[in-house]
Amino acid sequence: MRLEAKLALFNALSKLLLVLLGVAVIPAIVSRVAVAHTDQRLHEKKREVLDLIQRDGLVAFVRQEKQEAYADYNILKQEYISLTPELPRPKPAAPQERIFNEQRQVDDEVEDFRILSYQFEADNRPYRLEIGSSLATVELLEDTLRRLALWVLVIGAALTVVTDAAFARFLLRPLGDLISRKLHNVRHPSAFSFTPIPTTTTDFRQLDDSLNEMMHQMQSAFEKEREFMSNVSHELLTPVSILQTRFENMLQDPTLAHAHSLKLVDSQKTLYRLRNTVKTLLLIANIENDQYLREESVSLAAVVAEATNELEDRLAQRELHLRVLLEPDFVLPRANQTLLFTLIFNLLSNAIKYNREGGSITVTGVVPPQGGYHLSVADTGPGIAPENLPHLFDRFRRFHASGPKSPEGFGLGLPIAQTIANFHKATITATSEVGKGTTFTLEFQPIVAEQ
Amino acid sequence: MHVLIVEDEKSLHDEVRQFLLESQYLVDSAHNYADASEKIFVNSYDFVLLDLGLPGGDGLDLLREARQNDRQEASFIILTARGALDDRIKGLDLGADDYLPKPFSLLELQSRMQAITRRKFGLKRQEIVFGPGFVMDVQGRVLRHGEQEVPLTKKEFDLLHYLVLHKNRVLTRLQLGEHLWGNVLEDDSDSNYIDVHIKNIRKKLSQFASADFLETVRGIGYRVAENN
Repeated sequence: MRLEAKLALFNALSKLLLVLLGVAVIPAIVSRVAVAHTDQRLHEKKREVLDLIQRDGLVAFVRQEKQEAYADYNILKQEYISLTPELPRPKPAAPQERIFNEQRQVDDEVEDFRILSYQFEADNRPYRLEIGSSLATVELLEDTLRRLALWVLVIGAALTVVTDAAFARFLLRPLGDLISRKLHNVRHPSAFSFTPIPTTTTDFRQLDDSLNEMMHQMQSAFEKEREFMSNVSHELLTPVSILQTRFENMLQDPTLAHAHSLKLVDSQKTLYRLRNTVKTLLLIANIENDQYLREESVSLAAVVAEATNELEDRLAQRELHLRVLLEPDFVLPRANQTLLFTLIFNLLSNAIKYNREGGSITVTGVVPPQGGYHLSVADTGPGIAPENLPHLFDRFRRFHASGPKSPEGFGLGLPIAQTIANFHKATITATSEVGKGTTFTLEFQPIVAEQ
Repeated sequence: MHVLIVEDEKSLHDEVRQFLLESQYLVDSAHNYADASEKIFVNSYDFVLLDLGLPGGDGLDLLREARQNDRQEASFIILTARGALDDRIKGLDLGADDYLPKPFSLLELQSRMQAITRRKFGLKRQEIVFGPGFVMDVQGRVLRHGEQEVPLTKKEFDLLHYLVLHKNRVLTRLQLGEHLWGNVLEDDSDSNYIDVHIKNIRKKLSQFASADFLETVRGIGYRVAENN
């Protein structure tokens, strides 16, 4: 999962948690706030009423018809104020002022009220002032507050999730650039771009710098390797070259005795063996040190066609029947045509060499269920003993002949084939049945789409 | 034909020189960069055989230098043991006419030189007459006897062409094999593919005329003998 996606996910989850916490806590807080708010209003009302009494006197409130009490209700019965004369008592033991919840009957309806009750003396008579606010009103307020708080929370959370994701994206863009420009598209040290990624984030700067630094080191190691291989090639191949040309010149000498000519031809053979060994080792070393490019798109069917064309005569000479079943074809997007040719040529050449006269060779290509491609070359030769199979790709290993026509060794053709296969991220395996034949299978990986 | 051999390895130089002299070329030599640079500038050569690793400079620079000089019409053949892939690409980009990795066969060198000459002088239809009336059309890759076509496979044609090109020389199986299979590394030098090819060629030729001119040199190889 990408870092950006992870951050966004984490962000969303933490916001969700916050919202859930809000849902759990907000009602309690809101109800406290609502009660406190109501109490404060009751206090304010009380002050107003006392102020009015002081200014206008108690008389203004006292209703003539009832003579003793004053009460006023609003129409919706949300609030009431009542002023009740009380029996004279010794100094009140109860507190002068209390707030409590109680039922009151207003007209014909009984309702829950939050009531402030206050005792005071006016005209030498004790009075009790009650100011009530309907609890339904309080709950209504509470509900409104709760809804508002939750909406603010949800919208805020959603908004911050979006802005956080956008910001994270902006912040992480240099990292994405780094990955796509410096890691994804680099298949060869020489293809690396040293252009610094523009960023003001120190961590990314550091990462980019270290990456450049590392790549510099790799490039220089790579260059040294190339130079070394080049020098080794020169040192090994120049003497061979001198001898080869000398033998050729000597063979043209008309005064040379026949016996010496034969010795020369023999020396030439030995020299060719040395030459081929050196060239093979250099080839393998160069492939393993990535000195070859993988930049062509190569069709396996085309390579097989090219190789079989080259080997046409050899097939005919041994009266071998070749069947090529490459439907569908497989095209490697990044490969080295010359090396793949060598690989296929070696496999086919082996299949010809170690086949029985009049036998057959079958080249088959299949797409396995998991993707990729399997190319197999099957011969009808004497087969390879099971104990020799694991060592087939070892360099310089020779087998004891197990039959008159069985190969004494596959020489360096198979190690080369294996190296080239690995170079193309393919594996090569061999299965064999003594007396029936051998099958070499190349397993190519599925093509990964380019970014 | 005037050839300049640019090679610092004296033994190798001597062998190439001897071979070219015997093949009737006019040969000049340079053993280091400065010497080669001067000789290329002053003289006019048909061929420059260029080694890349030279004392005093890189052979590719020499090639670049020479190519900037309009007067130069020499064909360059790069001979290198460096075996580096990039050098080859660089060389052909800079206008080298051919490239032979060391170790190379002198016969191969000569046939490349002949091919370049043919190309240079626009010899579109080159025909070689040999044996009792065989005519080889190299460009068309056809062998005829009189009006009739001798049916040869690709490899058989190449093999016969190589032998005819170097007529009166004994070519060993190795030399023939190397020409046929080029850079493909063959580890069974004892294989008898060449013998089978020769046998088939003889069989095909003798249906038209005597194939005796294609001689076997016992224990060594094969030769096309000059018929006149």
